[in-house]
Amino acid sequence: MDFDFDPADESFREEVRSFIHDALPADIRERNVRNYHANRADTRRWTTILHERGWSAPSWPVAKGGTGWTPMQQFIFDEENFAAGAPLLETGGLKMIGPVIYTFGTPAQHERFNVPFLRGEISWGQGFSEPGAGSDLASLTTRAERQGDEWVITGHKMWTTNGHYANWLYLLVRTDPTQKQRGLSLILVPADAPGVTISPIIDIGEGHSLNEMFFDEVRVPAENLVGEENKGWTYAKFLLDRERAFSAEIPRNKRNFALLKQIAREARRGGRPLIEDGAFAARLAQLESDLDGLTWMTLRALARQGDSSWDLPVGSILKVRGTELQQTIGEMHVEALGDRGAYVYPEPDFATGEHHWPPGPDYAPGVLADFLYRRAVSIYGGSNEIQRTIIARQYLGL
Amino acid sequence: MDFELNHEQVLLQDSVRRFVEKQYDFDTRRKLVREGGGFDPKHWAVFAELGWLAIGLPEKHGGLGGSAVELAIILEELGKGLVVEPFLPVAVLAAQALAAAGVTGEAAQVLADIGTGAARPVLAHGEIDALGEIAFVETAAVRGASGWSLTGRKSLVVGAPFATHYLVSARTSGAPDDPQGISLFLLQPGDAGLERIDVRLSDSSRASEIVLSAAEVPAARLIGTEGNAFAALAAAHAHATTLICAEAIGAMDKALWITRDYLKTRQQFGQPIGNFQALQHRMADMLIELELSRAQLFGALAALGSAPAVRDRAVSSAKVQIGKAARLVGGQAIQLHGGIGITEEYVIGHYFKRLTMINNAFGNVGYHLDRMSRLAAV
Repeated sequence: MDFDFDPADESFREEVRSFIHDALPADIRERNVRNYHANRADTRRWTTILHERGWSAPSWPVAKGGTGWTPMQQFIFDEENFAAGAPLLETGGLKMIGPVIYTFGTPAQHERFNVPFLRGEISWGQGFSEPGAGSDLASLTTRAERQGDEWVITGHKMWTTNGHYANWLYLLVRTDPTQKQRGLSLILVPADAPGVTISPIIDIGEGHSLNEMFFDEVRVPAENLVGEENKGWTYAKFLLDRERAFSAEIPRNKRNFALLKQIAREARRGGRPLIEDGAFAARLAQLESDLDGLTWMTLRALARQGDSSWDLPVGSILKVRGTELQQTIGEMHVEALGDRGAYVYPEPDFATGEHHWPPGPDYAPGVLADFLYRRAVSIYGGSNEIQRTIIARQYLGL
Repeated sequence: MDFELNHEQVLLQDSVRRFVEKQYDFDTRRKLVREGGGFDPKHWAVFAELGWLAIGLPEKHGGLGGSAVELAIILEELGKGLVVEPFLPVAVLAAQALAAAGVTGEAAQVLADIGTGAARPVLAHGEIDALGEIAFVETAAVRGASGWSLTGRKSLVVGAPFATHYLVSARTSGAPDDPQGISLFLLQPGDAGLERIDVRLSDSSRASEIVLSAAEVPAARLIGTEGNAFAALAAAHAHATTLICAEAIGAMDKALWITRDYLKTRQQFGQPIGNFQALQHRMADMLIELELSRAQLFGALAALGSAPAVRDRAVSSAKVQIGKAARLVGGQAIQLHGGIGITEEYVIGHYFKRLTMINNAFGNVGYHLDRMSRLAAV
């Protein structure tokens, strides 16, 4: 056993930190530290900056245009980005459809989609969930029928993050109605194709990141199928193991915990710093302990990434507790803001930077909206109840 | 970073596991605690023979110079078997206190003798009003003509009924909660002015209260230097707290899988009760807490060699998690068994009792949350 960071990882961290310090535009940072939803212009600009450095795909192999970094380096990169207030890279393209394309798709698809994506030119929207297919995703009904050289798609998709920014969509659709999981395929659709309608879903934090999408006999060429017909379920699941070490969102939890401590130092209860209140301080310490446990488990999972002999359901464990921690930190943010925790600080106009905020300390805007949105994290990506069932059935054998 | 055991560590784990499985089944243990007084010299001889008692001792004191990782491997396996002999009090708490105090002469010999099994010292430090606070010592040592006179009372000295020596902390100066002014003395059973009140503990292990009434201690039996024992006590407690976490992980792991097996066999409503989702999710939460405990143990082990503030923050963080997990896993292991779980003859309740004691040992959750807040405020 060796619990020390590799010196090479430490110097890598320094390299990343100093690059971000010099390269991250101040206006992007300002929006991101407030946790308002990502803005396409920011993401694109940041992706372009990273692309020039060769860093726009931290989790991809060098041969596919990525960095070839180790899991630990990817984690360090995420941590430094979050801590500095850099925008998240586009998860859908980076962690889902991009790797599916270069693993199961054709070289032509890789050239057409992934290469421009790395330059920040493509924004993906994911179409998996449906009104009638949430946890039971495999019961989805959006239909793709083969007619000559085309697929004709009809159906209704939900919860597409950043669908309003997307120029391309990847859909899980039913190509064989007689099968369940084995009747699904993955198809790429231009967001501006005739018959596609994308409409906003406003979350309880009054933010707009989510969308629903309607497909009315949308026609795409046959070559937009990724991999083989009816193998879509396999493709949708193949990345889960690779991404399991990242499921606790440690970088986000760390930044939000640091913000909580900052608020607790500056806020007053009866005129004294809130952090000196014994009951509050004890709850803060409990969160710190929770964060420590998740961090060490993440480090262990990073060290064992790709080791299929390790059958612990670490992704499910990290997902359940990591999302619960996000929500608890958010609750305490709002609580610590006191009276101002109830004020609505509307999202600023991303184009102009203009905002109309009620009075309050500088750290207040964004806190409430993020707290409210984070009720989603224990629902998406396989709800925490589904994760518990996976743990009990697959690992405990119940 | 590497979280895997090396070859020697795997062999060590196997050897402790074999001992527990072959020589420490539940019936043997029951007999030992009911008729054997909770201590079998043959077991202690095995600990010595297989090198477990020497593994954590420094090489210059005749030990094998192993790290806390080796001790954690041993404790986790002993935890699975609910081993009642005082391995942790002797081979960790007392050994680390002696090693950290910088011993010479007689005390150095005691330290070296731990490894062979010839000496079984225990640390007599805790007091009833300290409740986990390491610096709180009211027992007083007053200098006399030829040495020291100790007066006070030490509580929950685990393993004391079987001990060959007592390492007694006493205040030679300062206020009761002052880290400065605490000294450590070497006493033995039968010393004048020392009374031992033996106590049977809820987890079937044995301890004593040690009452000192002007007990005379020769000057040569001061361990280390006068008034400076706090650092050694704090280091020993950091080790012991970390390693009792390892023991708790072993106990929780075993309790969890015993419960899993029960859920697969126990039939109600015409099916194994493990089919019910409410119970499955409870088990999932137990596994989550267990694995987070394991993760925290890595954090504490990693910090044991760090500066005291860093070390103690990590150890407290781990103990908070262990306490939370021990309550959930221990309590729910009983709950999921139903009525059989609360019977003395069935094994699961004994895990609950041990886990409850561990939760309260070396500072409970409240103490460690408070210590984390204090360390964060510095």
